[in-house]
Amino acid sequence: MERFDQLASGLEASFSAGVADPWTDDEFSSAAMKVFRYQFEHNSTYRRFCEGRDRGPDSVQDWVDVPAVPTRAFRHLDLVCGDPSQAEAVFRTSGTTGDGGPRGRHLVPRLSLYDASLLPAFKAYLLPDLDRINFVSLIPPPTALPDSSLSHMVGAAAQRYATEATWAVDGSGAIDAQALGNAIAAARASHAPVLLLGTAFAFVHALETPAATLGPLPDGSRIMETGGFKGRARELPRDELYARLAAATGVSAARIVNEYGMTELQSQLYEPVLAGEPFGCGHVPPPWLRVRALDPTTLEGQPEGESGILSFFDLANAGSVAHVLTEDLGAVSEGRVFLAGRAADAEPRGCSRAMDDLMTAAGFR
Amino acid sequence: MSERRFMAWALPRGVGMPPGPGLTVGVGGAEIQYLDADAGWIRSLTESLGESSGPIVARPAREIAAVLGLVGRRFLDPNDPLREEALRLLPPTAGVSREMAEAVLDGMATDWTEARLSAMATTEFGSVGALDRFVAHGDGRTLVVGPKLSFQIVSGSVPGVSVNAMLRSLMVKGPTLVKPGRGDVVLPVLFARALREADPVLADSVAVVYWPGGRESLEDGAMSSASVVTAYGSDAVVTALRARAPVSTRFVAYHHRLSAGVVGRRALAPDAIDAVVGDVARAVAMFDQRGCVSPHVVYVEEGAAIDPPAFGTLLAAALRALEDELPGGSLEAVEASAVHQVRGTAELMAASGSGVEVHHGGGASWTVIYDPSPAFSPSCVGRVVRVKPLPRLSVLARLIAPFGAHLQTMGVAGVGDDDLESLAEALGRVGVSRVAAFSEVPFPPSTWHHDGGGPLRDFVRYVDLEGT
Repeated sequence: MERFDQLASGLEASFSAGVADPWTDDEFSSAAMKVFRYQFEHNSTYRRFCEGRDRGPDSVQDWVDVPAVPTRAFRHLDLVCGDPSQAEAVFRTSGTTGDGGPRGRHLVPRLSLYDASLLPAFKAYLLPDLDRINFVSLIPPPTALPDSSLSHMVGAAAQRYATEATWAVDGSGAIDAQALGNAIAAARASHAPVLLLGTAFAFVHALETPAATLGPLPDGSRIMETGGFKGRARELPRDELYARLAAATGVSAARIVNEYGMTELQSQLYEPVLAGEPFGCGHVPPPWLRVRALDPTTLEGQPEGESGILSFFDLANAGSVAHVLTEDLGAVSEGRVFLAGRAADAEPRGCSRAMDDLMTAAGFR
Repeated sequence: MSERRFMAWALPRGVGMPPGPGLTVGVGGAEIQYLDADAGWIRSLTESLGESSGPIVARPAREIAAVLGLVGRRFLDPNDPLREEALRLLPPTAGVSREMAEAVLDGMATDWTEARLSAMATTEFGSVGALDRFVAHGDGRTLVVGPKLSFQIVSGSVPGVSVNAMLRSLMVKGPTLVKPGRGDVVLPVLFARALREADPVLADSVAVVYWPGGRESLEDGAMSSASVVTAYGSDAVVTALRARAPVSTRFVAYHHRLSAGVVGRRALAPDAIDAVVGDVARAVAMFDQRGCVSPHVVYVEEGAAIDPPAFGTLLAAALRALEDELPGGSLEAVEASAVHQVRGTAELMAASGSGVEVHHGGGASWTVIYDPSPAFSPSCVGRVVRVKPLPRLSVLARLIAPFGAHLQTMGVAGVGDDDLESLAEALGRVGVSRVAAFSEVPFPPSTWHHDGGGPLRDFVRYVDLEGT
């Protein structure tokens, strides 16, 4: 593990410079090739997978040619470098965002690398103006859901940036209306701005729970909304959800920040609306994460701005697999990701949701 | 009209188009233009269709079969411009190759002939005439009565399915509003237009209107006017529709189904294997595997000269060869994405030393995954098939049972007559509704009990006249 510690420490140091300054292609590429070489040498399954495609650290010149691992493989294999039993954490997919089948698992050998990636982006896109804030979370705390990467992320951020943190849901997602009401009343009394965090699903649930109060929140408050933007059925279209959230909290829809992340990636992307950019301005990755939209058939890179299958090269995944091929569709323009909405053109044809149906029916959930 | 723009509607006489400017949706290399319908317009459409009930009920069923068969036959006639138009429009709108379009049209349109339509009515009601008058029934008599109006929502997976749906309703004298899926707009519209030329009165009982799925106000408007609703599609789509159907409306659900296959020892010998592998490959490739009859998993009995991994290798070679004869079409992004996920995951499983073997076509989507785990595990569309070992035939029913509610056809080869009935019974009792030779798998006969039901009986009511 010495070599990994060295690699990870170097990355952590680079991440600590923050997300404001982009990395040059050379900087990213050189780090990416180091990570690839390490993963090739320390994960025999991944190495044989690469060899099956005639790719290795000596033949690959460009990180885009590093073989990408499909997200579904996380359901079947421990995709980790070194001894799986030594992982510091195992995060599991929720089972509601994939397309059925066993839950995916992401083994994380070093949580400090995870935190080094998530904290600067969280700070930059949610707290650009404040050092600390009052967290009110509709995302369960890590103690309640230790295998949720989202809970870990919010927990790590709260530890660093929260003046106080109220966890207004339990591990089952049930809302603690009293804790929520008390936290909001206290914030209002002290005029302390709130960061309200939740998944789209949790917000819809809260909006439809008569006893649950979401506001009004004090001036300077903001909201982080996540999940439910992966082509899955939503209870509400996003603009409608935001309008209702704004009405319930008094926080303008322009201060609702969408976070885009997945269990298989240790880095997250955000829409930089607190920097004054409009709704739909695209999700910005941190400099150590690069995203490409690929031609759905050939997996060649798409031209700038053209929609395709999204693949991610995340240096924060140094301990597992860095190059991940997702099932999400979207376009990449100037490094930003524009996720495909549920337009008529994206209407799945025939049986594309078939596995979902089948796995649900067979009790795999 | 642009070469690649298709107007996805066919209306009865006297029904005007809705006032909106018309909308378009891109699909593959084509643009589908559709009507900007609203609930009020749907109501006027269903009223018009309902009024056509009188004339169609007055027609003898045999005459209806003859007229429909006349139109259907045109799709099989190589010299008919209607067939040529269909073959030109299918590849861009349905995402299939020209060769596949021909194979699918040949297979589907065989069911659109007078003989087949009459045979279907005879199979289900004893005679075609039973649709016209009371026939003996027990001590009394009974009359078969079709719906005043059927509303049929058909998935776009396989071109031609919405024509089958249309013909079933018309055969039982039920006017029908067909809402095809995006990949299946061409054939029902062409059929309805050709029917208008052949028999304008009968054509007044048909409307074909496309709109992107999930428009609840249109669906609800149509469902409230129809006495029978048939819904073909994913479980989510069918569930959502069923929940909103009025209680007095009969709801026929063709929810998501897929198929599998089994190859017994008798076929796993050098002199028999080529034909079997060819038939399996064709069954997998037909409709680019989007059909409910398309096999996703093929079980291969162990202990024969050709073992399951070797069968996988041979099946891969057959699928590779079939790319010339019946080239794969273009998959939609979500479909292609699923292929990459399944393929890449299998490659990683192979690399992990699990015994998995992967063969695939690179840029062509066909993929064979030999997986030593016998547990049933569906693949995705695009000619992606898992080959699994079967220790003995008697355990097959247990292996597929968890998926029984979604299984439809079991292709079969190399199983002796002695074992076939007991195997079919065991499979049937866990949910399979059809056991057939692989060569017959893609196109069921007119006597088919679709998903185990009666495709015409599902539309009708019986009126019993008791006593003498």
